[in-house]
Amino acid sequence: MTVRLSVKNLSKRFGPVQANDDVSLDVAAGELHCLLGENGAGKSTLSACLYGLYRPDGGRILVEGAEQVFRSPADAIAAGIGMVHQHFVLVPTFTVLENIVVGTGVGVKLDLAEARKRVRALCERHGLEIALDAVAEDLSVGEQQWVEIVKALYLGARILILDEPTAVLTPQESDRLFALLSRMKADGLSIILISHKMNEVMRSDRVSVLRRGRLVGTIMTSAVTRDELTCMMIGRALQPVEAKPRIASNVPVVQVRDATLQDLRGVRVLDGLSLELNAGEVLGLAGIAGNGQRELIEAIAGIRRIDGGDILLDGRSIGGSTARDIARLGVGHVPEDRFKDGLVPDFSIAENVILGQHWDAAWRRGPLLDGERMAHHANASIAEFSIVATGPDAPVRKLSGGNAQKVILARELAKATRCLLCNQPTRGLDVGVIDYVHNEILRKRDEGVAVLLASEELEDLIALSDRIAVIFRGRIMGVIPRGSADVARLGRMMAGASTKDVA
Amino acid sequence: MAWAGAIAVAALAAVACCSLLFLAAGADPIAAFAALAKGSFGSARAIADTLVKATPLILTGLATALAFRARLWNIGAEGQVFAGAMFAYWCQSSLGPAPAIVQIPVIVLGAVLGGGLLGGLAGVLKTRFKVDEVIATVMLNYIVIYVLSLLLQQGPWTESGGFFEQTALVPAASKLPILWEKTRLHLGFLLALFVAAILQVIIQRSPLGYEIRAAGSNLRALEFQGVNVSRLVIVVFLLSGAIAGLAGAFEVYGVQYRLKSGTLSGIGYTGIIIAILGQLSPRGVVVAAVLFGALLNGATLMQIKTGVPSALIYAIEAIILMFFLIAWAFSQFRLRRIDHVV
Repeated sequence: MTVRLSVKNLSKRFGPVQANDDVSLDVAAGELHCLLGENGAGKSTLSACLYGLYRPDGGRILVEGAEQVFRSPADAIAAGIGMVHQHFVLVPTFTVLENIVVGTGVGVKLDLAEARKRVRALCERHGLEIALDAVAEDLSVGEQQWVEIVKALYLGARILILDEPTAVLTPQESDRLFALLSRMKADGLSIILISHKMNEVMRSDRVSVLRRGRLVGTIMTSAVTRDELTCMMIGRALQPVEAKPRIASNVPVVQVRDATLQDLRGVRVLDGLSLELNAGEVLGLAGIAGNGQRELIEAIAGIRRIDGGDILLDGRSIGGSTARDIARLGVGHVPEDRFKDGLVPDFSIAENVILGQHWDAAWRRGPLLDGERMAHHANASIAEFSIVATGPDAPVRKLSGGNAQKVILARELAKATRCLLCNQPTRGLDVGVIDYVHNEILRKRDEGVAVLLASEELEDLIALSDRIAVIFRGRIMGVIPRGSADVARLGRMMAGASTKDVA
Repeated sequence: MAWAGAIAVAALAAVACCSLLFLAAGADPIAAFAALAKGSFGSARAIADTLVKATPLILTGLATALAFRARLWNIGAEGQVFAGAMFAYWCQSSLGPAPAIVQIPVIVLGAVLGGGLLGGLAGVLKTRFKVDEVIATVMLNYIVIYVLSLLLQQGPWTESGGFFEQTALVPAASKLPILWEKTRLHLGFLLALFVAAILQVIIQRSPLGYEIRAAGSNLRALEFQGVNVSRLVIVVFLLSGAIAGLAGAFEVYGVQYRLKSGTLSGIGYTGIIIAILGQLSPRGVVVAAVLFGALLNGATLMQIKTGVPSALIYAIEAIILMFFLIAWAFSQFRLRRIDHVV
């Protein structure tokens, strides 16, 4: 095994946080090496050091045995390191070819014909099919990612860092990505994959597990099980969440009938969508990001008004009600972006748990807010949801993602006596907290609340949901019961096939 | 602690900078500062005059701070001062002869309505027609100021037989009572302090203040909870305008005893500086306004004693603001050199 990249005793500190602590690892030529760890374990810091975005405080980076000091990404690129970020940075109005060569030219004249020849050769070598003259904004997300990869290869990358590359892909696109990665491996490239999805991690050659900035270990993937890796990652074993299937009632709590909604550009984000959500069930909502999940949930919650059709809650139309009215009817909403949609960052925990109820007599003494009662309530929430914070006065801005989400749960679960809407409730959270959120959702369901759960984690959806509805371009492609749902079938429906096509 | 230190350094730096200005004006800095201090706090009368000068600045500072707390950039205190003065004058002069107990409430009400309506108009323009509030308030300033000019320039309000752009003197019963004998300190100062106290409670402890602060941090989270954000915006503009309107009426009925354009101009814009120096808190606004009142008041004595032109005070105000902002930036962020931009 020839070592291509080696990291020796790398450390990086941000103020009081030791983001990387004495991390050492090797990446071989032709290896798919996975970096696994919870949020804040130091994966992103490590890859940013490798790509020259941060300068490590200590330790050495060697490429092909030669020590490197990266002052900027340009140095890293020159040393043969490429990176594909989670969010792509293509120029939307440029063609694929222009996007690949932009910024790579030397001198005044850009020889597009020569560039085209080189890009073609690269694509052929790795079995990539991309229309070089297509405009970037017309490409699917999966294709855009390929462009990013080709761009890195064009710059001469021999070591490719991929930061959570499948977060935005359908299962089928992910499979195609991994097929591409294995061809690139065979060609001798080294790939560093940052991921926390276990099924992807298992496709790597070796895994390096990080926990709290330290390397727990590097192991051959073939020699470990998922559970062992999880245990290494979080430092303890995890109780699997297994939803007891229950006999969902057929009492509809929410009925969406032929809902249509146009966005500002006139695109139909909801296109005649109909859906029924019953008491005491978790209805999963599967779909690729941006197919109307957010709009559907926000329409039910009363944040957006639909243009056509109707939405009923317990048989009464709520199409014209405000979010405040709907919340009072017993609907809780855990929004997609917790800090942007769900919290006031500069407010304390005590202030955030009463957000939306701040006019209620329960929180007032005379015309003024009752600070004592709010603090009391916040303390109760902190205890009930095991929120880690300095106290009820702690500004939410300073909480971790998991604790911030728990503040939202404390507020919204209390409201959700009839219906709970959850949009990506576990996105970006650590495994332990994910587990916690899932259990809370199931507890609500067992109380008879109708739960709508939109998530991009298909395996979680399958584990938790009683039924799964697949949304594609603002329509429901079909609803499949728990027993007959699997990732492949859902994946095809998420790409636009109807229930009949995949049955 | 870092904050107190930064402010101390900023104050020293500002004093040093002003000293250079005094030197450039050919005066001894120590003598100039001494005159400035004596002119503003040297006697009971000087202190009273300082507070008189501070009164409208407290109000425009509060008006601006309230709007800025909600991240609504009301630059319209200037026009709202004029609108408050004009509406109060119109109400009072239409009233005819009446005792002070009637006249003064009418004046206060007129000021609140005039300023509030102009502020509210900017709020409606923003929420109904998506007109940026900075543009709307600045443009409304011009409109109101020129409307007053029109009314005073050989218009219906011009003092009969007068030559200046001003109204006749207001009746004695409409003048704001003097609080402190042999000085010019009038009821308006007390009312301004009262408004500051009320505002402090509203912002910190009422549900409305909760919404205002929430809007300043994350308006979207409020929308997600079904709060009627448009109504909130309009309410904030109404209140902000009403407070600024009081400043105008108090100048007319407490200091000038007639309505004229020149003495009102600048109060609203200075209020923006006051609000920022006061860190958008009512308490801070009062302190900053008294400081600026002292500068304005002491400037005359400084000019007489040392020949430093009193207009230099505006430069000093700007210097204070600049150093304050620098101190604030230093206490909020740690600046460090980096080798490249990520």
